Amino acid sequence: MKLGDRPLANPDVVLREEYDDWAVLFDPETANAVGINPVGVFIWRLLDGRNSVEQIAARVADGFDEVPGSAPEEVRAFVERLAAGGFVGFAATGATP
Amino acid sequence: MSDQPASPVPSAPQPVMSTPRRLDIEITARCNLRCRYCYFFDNPAVPYRDLDTATWLRFFDELGACQVMDVCISGGEPFLRPDLPELLAGIVRNRMRFNLVSNGALIDDAKAAAVAATRRCNYVQISVDGSCADTHDVCRGPGSFAGALRGIRTLQRHGIPVAARVTIHRHNVRDLPAVARLLLDELEVPAFSTNAASELGSFARHADQIAMTVADRELAMRSLVELKERYGGRITANAGPLADAEYWARMETARRQGAPAFSDGGRLSACGCVFEKIAVRADGAIVPCSMLAHLELGRIGRDRLAEVWRSAPELVRLRARQAIPLQRFAGCRDCAYAPYCTGNCPGLAYSLTGEIDRPSPDACLRLFLEAGGAIDGRAARISPGAEVAE
Ligand code: SF4
Ligand code: SF4
Repeated sequence: MKLGDRPLANPDVVLREEYDDWAVLFDPETANAVGINPVGVFIWRLLDGRNSVEQIAARVADGFDEVPGSAPEEVRAFVERLAAGGFVGFAATGATP
Repeated sequence: MSDQPASPVPSAPQPVMSTPRRLDIEITARCNLRCRYCYFFDNPAVPYRDLDTATWLRFFDELGACQVMDVCISGGEPFLRPDLPELLAGIVRNRMRFNLVSNGALIDDAKAAAVAATRRCNYVQISVDGSCADTHDVCRGPGSFAGALRGIRTLQRHGIPVAARVTIHRHNVRDLPAVARLLLDELEVPAFSTNAASELGSFARHADQIAMTVADRELAMRSLVELKERYGGRITANAGPLADAEYWARMETARRQGAPAFSDGGRLSACGCVFEKIAVRADGAIVPCSMLAHLELGRIGRDRLAEVWRSAPELVRLRARQAIPLQRFAGCRDCAYAPYCTGNCPGLAYSLTGEIDRPSPDACLRLFLEAGGAIDGRAARISPGAEVAE
């Protein structure tokens, strides 16, 4: 996955908010579930197939304090792990207006 | 942005989720059997009537909006509802998974195919209490053993995961090794859970014929501990002889070693369910759990589930029960096990004492020992976090 890729949340996946902005992503098709923290929830809401990983990392930097320079790589790794679990796919190239 | 597997409910003091993660739903008050220890029937506080399809479907939409993940559909006997496929479709539409609790007898190919087609079934749990009709049917009625086995085989043919539940009572306590062989070796069910016929519902009317003696309980514990050594995690328990054997072994080990109190010990912390799930009776009453079916918190279609979950006074009180120290109770005050004891199930506490905010005598180690019971150090070896007793 490249920083320019535009990830898209699997529409079947449920974002279940639990405590203090922490949440669980739950895929009812596979029963896979992962816990995510408030930054993860913020990222999840941007996985609409229009934002690139790079743009998402920039939004994280704007939205949170003390974001390290490694944020784009961390966001990429996070999205990659979600993709491996079937929570995320990628918009086809040229799909954005 | 952690993506660790979803953690279990944190230990006390526990925060409360904004909505329940799971629901237990008694989808019907009808059953094709009348088991002698059924916890469901013969509760004078419960009106046994069913809701229509549309009411349940609207409620499932509400569950979807509450981001509920799993529902456990029981009864009564859920396969008695002719609209079951429609109800399951409502669960799927709302992005939930489900499991079904059944006696198995009514499951035919058409019903199993309908369940399989949803692709959202975690498992169907079938009650099997004996290795043969003699020990199973004695409490569940003639033909019920054959029905349970037929149900299991039908589900397996359709690729549906099957779990079994073995309820232990006076008549099957000597049959447990054969039950394990039947379920795990012959039927190749991945795992079964165990509990004991306990003082709820129809049990009271038949207690003299069903209730285990102290010697029966000892035998059940010994037998299940041995079977668990052989079959490992394929035999589980949240309550009943195996759960008692494992937890009591931990308590005894800790007492002998003078270990510090357990983090959840010394208070009525036993039940974490009220932090994670809630139940609905067949007539639509929202209750904390099936074991506390008299405690109406609200009603589906009238009250909003999220509101009931957050602020029903009885539920808030049940959660606060966790902080009640065992020292408050005369029997516990000088008990050497108190720092390790969690006070046991509130549902059984209510059923046996008429009060929820008390320890349940049913799983009280001190009472068991005073009645002449003994515990088996081997349970400590299979109980996580425990040292070997001796
Ligand atoms: S225990 Fe289950 S199968 Fe037996 S009567 Fe009760 S609901 Fe029916
Ligand atoms: S008397 Fe029973 S319930 Fe009370 S602390 Fe001791 S073992 Fe636990």
